[in-house]
Amino acid sequence: MHILYTPLTIGMAWILFALEVAWLRTGNERWYRLERFFEKIFIINFGAGVATGVTMEMAFGILYGPFSQAVGPFFGNILGFETITAFMYEAGFIGLMIFGWGKIGKGMHLFSTFNVGLSSTLSAFWILVANSWMQTPDGIFLKHGLFEVKNWWSAIFNENCIWGFPHMWVATIELALFVTVGASAWFILKNRNADLFTKILRPALLALLIVTPAQIWLGDGLGRTVAQTQPTSLAAMEGHYRTYLPDGKVDTGWHIIAFPNAQNTGNVFAITIPHVLSMLETHTMNGVVPGMDQFPAKDRPDVWVPFYSFRIMVTIGFFLFFVALWGNWLRLTGKLNATDLRKRPWFLRTVVFSAFLPYLAVWCGWWTREVGRQPWLVNGLMRTYQGVSHMTVGQEVFWWVGYIIFELTVWSGSWYFFSRVIAKGTDGIPHSDTLFHQDTGGKDGGEKAGGGLVKPTFAKPTLDKNV
Amino acid sequence: MFDLARIATTLSTWWWLLLCLSFLFYIGLDGADLGAGVFALFAKDEQERAAIMASMAGVWDANETWLVVAGGVIFGAFPLVYGSTFNYLLIPLAFALWGIISRAIAFEFHGHATRSKKSWGLAFALGSLLAPFGAGVALGATLQGFPMQHGIALEGVAAAHASAFDAIPHFSGGPFSFLSPFSIWTGIGAVIAGGLAGGLYLCARFDHEDPIYKRAVKWTNLFSLLALGAIVITLIWSYAIFPWVSAKWTGPYWWVWLIWILFILFFAYKSMMAHSSRQDFAALLWGEGVVALMWFAMWATMFPYIVPETWTIAQAANPTDSIAVFTLFMTGFFPIMIGYNAYQIWVFRGRTTKMAAYSGH
Repeated sequence: MHILYTPLTIGMAWILFALEVAWLRTGNERWYRLERFFEKIFIINFGAGVATGVTMEMAFGILYGPFSQAVGPFFGNILGFETITAFMYEAGFIGLMIFGWGKIGKGMHLFSTFNVGLSSTLSAFWILVANSWMQTPDGIFLKHGLFEVKNWWSAIFNENCIWGFPHMWVATIELALFVTVGASAWFILKNRNADLFTKILRPALLALLIVTPAQIWLGDGLGRTVAQTQPTSLAAMEGHYRTYLPDGKVDTGWHIIAFPNAQNTGNVFAITIPHVLSMLETHTMNGVVPGMDQFPAKDRPDVWVPFYSFRIMVTIGFFLFFVALWGNWLRLTGKLNATDLRKRPWFLRTVVFSAFLPYLAVWCGWWTREVGRQPWLVNGLMRTYQGVSHMTVGQEVFWWVGYIIFELTVWSGSWYFFSRVIAKGTDGIPHSDTLFHQDTGGKDGGEKAGGGLVKPTFAKPTLDKNV
Repeated sequence: MFDLARIATTLSTWWWLLLCLSFLFYIGLDGADLGAGVFALFAKDEQERAAIMASMAGVWDANETWLVVAGGVIFGAFPLVYGSTFNYLLIPLAFALWGIISRAIAFEFHGHATRSKKSWGLAFALGSLLAPFGAGVALGATLQGFPMQHGIALEGVAAAHASAFDAIPHFSGGPFSFLSPFSIWTGIGAVIAGGLAGGLYLCARFDHEDPIYKRAVKWTNLFSLLALGAIVITLIWSYAIFPWVSAKWTGPYWWVWLIWILFILFFAYKSMMAHSSRQDFAALLWGEGVVALMWFAMWATMFPYIVPETWTIAQAANPTDSIAVFTLFMTGFFPIMIGYNAYQIWVFRGRTTKMAAYSGH
């Protein structure tokens, strides 16, 4: 569940930074209003992300006690890096970014926003390093039950991480951009602040024209890395059981739909296109792609989840590319203004709908990754059952029930308040002129912002009864 | 030749100190936030709760993150402890975690809610109560040591388990091993300490004329008495049941401990004096000083164990090169973290009133 919140935080932080730069450079009030509005969406996500993130940190210890101990020399270090360089760093600057309006100078605020972006990206980097290492555990050796590090360089920049981190990071940008344009499209559709939100549509769509194809390319790169380093995972993603056909030729078929059988030894039913799988993974017509039959049954992952979640992710990736093309075509033909856009409700509806798709794609991608690695916790070295804590049934029930209740509360709450922030719109945002008062030397009885008795310098904070 | 073993011991002891410091920052900073939350449990209306939340809006997240940093340090430098702690302390830590999460969520949602405002306010206050209680129980349980053994704890699993990972002792107790009169008591003690810190904090943050300030003054007076009692009880109790405690306190360096206690009493006295003369910020600082002195005393008592009678610092630490890399890259961040945390507290330091509720942002 954690992965539903943090990608938006990571991507959105950069969008906020871009908006703030645009505001400070042009002095255009609209950028400021947009920033303040999207900041609200950002902060709800951030809270949910922190809450679920702390839960995850604990879950490692609770559910994977032996794993936590064994991987400590590398994995523990990396997570320690993450909490210190990224988590704490982000928490420090986010308070300044959200509540610092009017209390710190413009330059300092911009610096804070930048640091929130940087630290959340760092956070993503370390997490991906840790997770990728579980996929391709390089640079380590097993000694006395511990994974000791032989080569930090190759352990950190392991094969999977080189493609995996950019793929994930671009996913966060894509997600945040689509949430941004999706929310904007919704406002244009409802004809509220339509001009304001059309303004952000232009740069965002242009960015998407770069981001969406880049993501497809990165995904292909990661796919080939997986094919080389984790053939079982790839075979599961593709439902690919037979390396060779009965007549001895290479099985190059790519399945659109597949129903694996219960023994996990073959497909009961599949719709197949020849040569496509070899093209995808080896970029040749008849390249050999090892199937599940090359591996003992106890090393095979489940097929259902990776197969379908992978397909959903890829379909969404291409669909979003199409949406980006559509939007930019409207831009080129000069239709990207509030009046013309409102004549094309289906475009706007598609964009609103597209705001939800990256979430699904990210989730499916992660499922593909995690289930594809089974039955290994650390690929090829530590099996999942070796890493889990051995708890009593009562403990497990206690943990899971509590965990699920909390995750669902957080999730439903987030969506509820998300929709509320959007319903409220940009109307309540004060003008930026009210933020940074000239220091009057305390003539009006109050001292300057941030010191002593704080007089509200903007939008007097009161208990808002009609929210 | 380097003496590698010595370097490893030195570095792991260094991380043990930084861990002590991270926990101290957490207790000192978030303890006040949590205590203010406990105070909010008895708030007269939602506006008061909102004002209390508003007073910590800019900093609570960073304060709380010191706990995550401590977790990161344990995982990064002492993974063997990390892997066994959570097995042992599942229940109290889960409660503490629920408390922390409810608070985090309530912070975001209280400002946005209308009808559900009351329940979010309550979630904030109850979470603030639950978190120190759970953490206190966990601390008390830690002082009792972990039941550990080599190999896999549950029978039947052992057979299926590869021997590669059996070199490390794993937790072998049951889900309720943590529970004892002493651990329950430390839970209560933590709530009392938090309540006192929260009272001092609120006094320092609210206008003298504000109704919250007036009630916080009374609250603080009550809790300083409770806290004194709690300290005495905890000291005597620990002395009575933990041989490693009594051995250290009455050992050859007994006079150090005596001086230390005098220091603590002096700090507590200064805090109470400052409080009664309405020097609220000074009172808060002296109070935090008491916390720091006691915390250091506890860690010094445990030395050289990181978990009493279970893991020594050296046993629990990562292999030398891992801990060296960790030291190389991470130590420098501590002054930076402290720096920006301090700057942040400085920015949001002004006094506030009940009227300045936490309303959107």
